[in-house]
Amino acid sequence: MQRCFRKPSADITAVIKAVSGHARDGERTIVSVVREIGCALATLLCTAVVLGCARTDPHVLTFAGSAVGREGEAIRRQLDRFQRMHPEIRVEVQSTPDAADHRHQLYVQWLNARAADPDVLQLDVVWAPEFAAAGWILDLDRFRPDVQDFFPATLTATRWNGTLYALPWFVDVGMLYWRTDVMDRAPMNLDELRDQAARGMREHAIPYGFVWQGARYEGLVTVFLEYLGAFGGGILDDHGGVVVDSDRAVAALTSMRDSIYADQFVPALVLTWQEEQARLAFQNGQAVFMRNWPYAYGLLQDPVQSRVAGRFGIAPMPAASGGSPTAALGGSVLAINANSGDVDAAYQLIEYLLEPPQLLDRARIAGQYPPRPTMYESQELEDALRIVPADARRIIEHAVPRPATPIYSELSQILQIAVHRALTRQQEPRDALQRAATDMRALLARTELEGQHP
Amino acid sequence: MRRGEARRGWLMALPALAVIALIALGPVLWAVWESLYLHDLRMPWLGRRLIGLRNYVEALSNPRFWEAIGHTVAFAAVSVTLEIVLGLALAVAVDSMTRGRGVVRTAMLLPWAVPTVVVGLVWRFMFETPTGLIWFADPLAAWVPIVLADVWKTTPFVAVLLLAGLQNIERSLYEAAQMDGATAWRQFTGITLPLLKPALLVALVFRTVDAFRVFDVIYVMTGGGPGTATEPIAMYTFSVLLENLRFGYGSALSVMIFGVTFLLALVAIRLMGRGALVEPAP
Repeated sequence: MQRCFRKPSADITAVIKAVSGHARDGERTIVSVVREIGCALATLLCTAVVLGCARTDPHVLTFAGSAVGREGEAIRRQLDRFQRMHPEIRVEVQSTPDAADHRHQLYVQWLNARAADPDVLQLDVVWAPEFAAAGWILDLDRFRPDVQDFFPATLTATRWNGTLYALPWFVDVGMLYWRTDVMDRAPMNLDELRDQAARGMREHAIPYGFVWQGARYEGLVTVFLEYLGAFGGGILDDHGGVVVDSDRAVAALTSMRDSIYADQFVPALVLTWQEEQARLAFQNGQAVFMRNWPYAYGLLQDPVQSRVAGRFGIAPMPAASGGSPTAALGGSVLAINANSGDVDAAYQLIEYLLEPPQLLDRARIAGQYPPRPTMYESQELEDALRIVPADARRIIEHAVPRPATPIYSELSQILQIAVHRALTRQQEPRDALQRAATDMRALLARTELEGQHP
Repeated sequence: MRRGEARRGWLMALPALAVIALIALGPVLWAVWESLYLHDLRMPWLGRRLIGLRNYVEALSNPRFWEAIGHTVAFAAVSVTLEIVLGLALAVAVDSMTRGRGVVRTAMLLPWAVPTVVVGLVWRFMFETPTGLIWFADPLAAWVPIVLADVWKTTPFVAVLLLAGLQNIERSLYEAAQMDGATAWRQFTGITLPLLKPALLVALVFRTVDAFRVFDVIYVMTGGGPGTATEPIAMYTFSVLLENLRFGYGSALSVMIFGVTFLLALVAIRLMGRGALVEPAP
């Protein structure tokens, strides 16, 4: 132990001596000691200067986002190509946690501390208004971005107070997966969905009619949003007022609840399910319908693990009378840290990542849907995603963003609790939504956001 | 003791006292200070303002806070009662064994040695039945796996504590009672229980304080759901502090939890002062 401890320090002394030209044994005058110390300090200073230079180099960009698995593979390839085109810029990837909540928390800590890194951030679409209102991300209008070729809904979600703060990178939409071996066509409305689900359960001995994400988490809010749209309701109106306790909203929540307990084509099990449990049930042939995100498509088409490969299709979530088919809009957007040292290089990187060939590459490697409608006319995208692009485009055009407000996470938490309470029969739908609306109005008042809206 | 000596004594103890104050009191005082502010990390446009007791008023007028308190108290009452009763039964059984007591005592502690998160996950998987009652979607039934997991894990701890108490009781008391013709039950209520009171008190206090701070087992099993039907006060605080990053309001909640557990501990120390820490008279 003692030896281990001593040895390195002895080595360091020897190095310092060698450097300062006083390696001769035995000679230890005060002058030499002072010179050694001076030399050591100088070395330290040099190191500090070098490190400092590296840190303030204007051409090192950091990118923070998903950097694991297929997404990591895609981004690394793209950044390599970007650096070959721009030899003066070096891009480093800052890995962040995969779980959305954890990544969000980390971003808040960095940005709140006014850190200059990371320069470019991959944000979940619902965080953009929050970070914009906090002044943590740069307005992008200053770069006069060309926003012609983006799905309009994806841009709505990235604006705050009329200003654009982020650009859509890829799109996630809720969609209805249906069994082509059980029915001839996708249901046109919710009544048809109920009847077809019941028939499939009865005639094909499929245990579940319709499965979705019903656990108390963000996924439940997206399902609820789709039902809200299907009944013509909403969470906030155009002026930022809370309308989640309207009659239409109550009808939507009641319909969700009835599908479990009255019509019994949705198993109560979904109240503990997230995406993967639903996907596994559908993949094993245990469900007639499933509501899920695009990621499930490729997995369900894989004959090795899926029993329904080649026997299912996708369609927009159907509506009830008075509403319209609605898909919850998810996905990621790209934004620039307001304290970034080199905003022009950062914007160059974003522009590059949003070029159609790059988006196509991502679609091919990570199965992510591009935000540019014109790309859905190409055969290449069909090959990359193995879907019918026209189907996907039709669904994305029905996409509705979640409320674009800085306090979305808090609003969502209130809704998650209210909807889950109603679905687990702890409260009547109307009571649950009224309590949620009261809480949401109090929250808006507390955060001084009343009357402010995108 | 002379005054000078006393002063020197205090002086010598001062560094140690300062360290204790810094470590134990520092964070508490900081939380109290923070709780007087409006400080939402995610809403910087609101600023960081001194708002006095408004965070406390918000908590006390929030139904979710009171529901969480209710859940915590109910959980503590049910789980601690079960743990004490079962622990006592287990301790008496092991105490009456003539052979292999050491082995059993060690084996008994195994559940207690498993990390709570693992215990929670194992019990959750057991109750995630694909058919029949969906435990975690029912506001009352969801408590069953939670309480079971907690009881399974901590009963051994209580049992070992009580076993130590049992082994302190003089055997001759039982022999004398037998001579007088007392039944087993009479011996239990007349000798065992009164003499075990100090150990019972220690177990009760430790378990109650622990149960009041329950978090991990519920976090992995239900996450507080369905709705917020199984949300204890520690989880509500976690959600406010670490999910919503509302430091001011979250600190106010923390201070209140601290206050309650501190009161519990004070009561416990007073009670134990009257005998728990003293050898029971033979």
